[in-house]
Amino acid sequence: MQNRDRLIATSRIVVRLAMVVNRLFLLAVGLGLAASFLFDRPVSQFLVRSAPGVDGARELVGLRCEALIGLVMAVATDRLLVALGRMIDTATIGDPFIAANARRLRTVGWSLLVLQLLDIPYAMFSRYFPNLGSGGDGDYSVGGWVAVLLVFVLSRVFASGAAMRDELEGTI
Amino acid sequence: MVTLDEVLARRNMTLTQLSEAVDITLANLSILKTGKAKAMRFSTLEAICQVLDCQPGEILAYQPE
Repeated sequence: MQNRDRLIATSRIVVRLAMVVNRLFLLAVGLGLAASFLFDRPVSQFLVRSAPGVDGARELVGLRCEALIGLVMAVATDRLLVALGRMIDTATIGDPFIAANARRLRTVGWSLLVLQLLDIPYAMFSRYFPNLGSGGDGDYSVGGWVAVLLVFVLSRVFASGAAMRDELEGTI
Repeated sequence: MVTLDEVLARRNMTLTQLSEAVDITLANLSILKTGKAKAMRFSTLEAICQVLDCQPGEILAYQPE
């Protein structure tokens, strides 16, 4: 029991920390995207300087698209972490089997699906804009898709469990 | 609908006395009496019927909406 409490407390801290880091990332990418429009010439020149021979204008478009994907990914990750954080909060109180958590689990599923789908264009960028240093390696893991499916199935199981518990609570 | 009130009145019994006799909390019996309970266990029904010396049909009735 004490181990479980420690696990929940640790998870809570990790999720909060991840939320802060992700929001900082979101802010940084947002600022970067805005800067690519405000200072397009210096940014383009920087891109050409870091990879001589590339088309600066083309690289700039690639950079903006990549930043846009990064923004959407960060928003999806934020939704996921907020839902996860609230679920952990309910576990801390000792009452996690509620309908709201089933909805939160569904939110986690949708967020994971968005992240999985965004992996595809992100991997394409690594092929078309190799100089931008995109993290996408084009390796679509089956595990990620299975995880999405698993979370959606779990959310249904959770919803049924919460409804059953509600009914049991109203049984005299 | 639960017609526990009528049977209790006929037996000159209060909800508190019934609660003590069937060993169900007063709060739960109140939920049952006001029709807010979602379901009722057979064991609860049996205990109430035993104490009130009545049939289930005397404390439960169907009323079309």
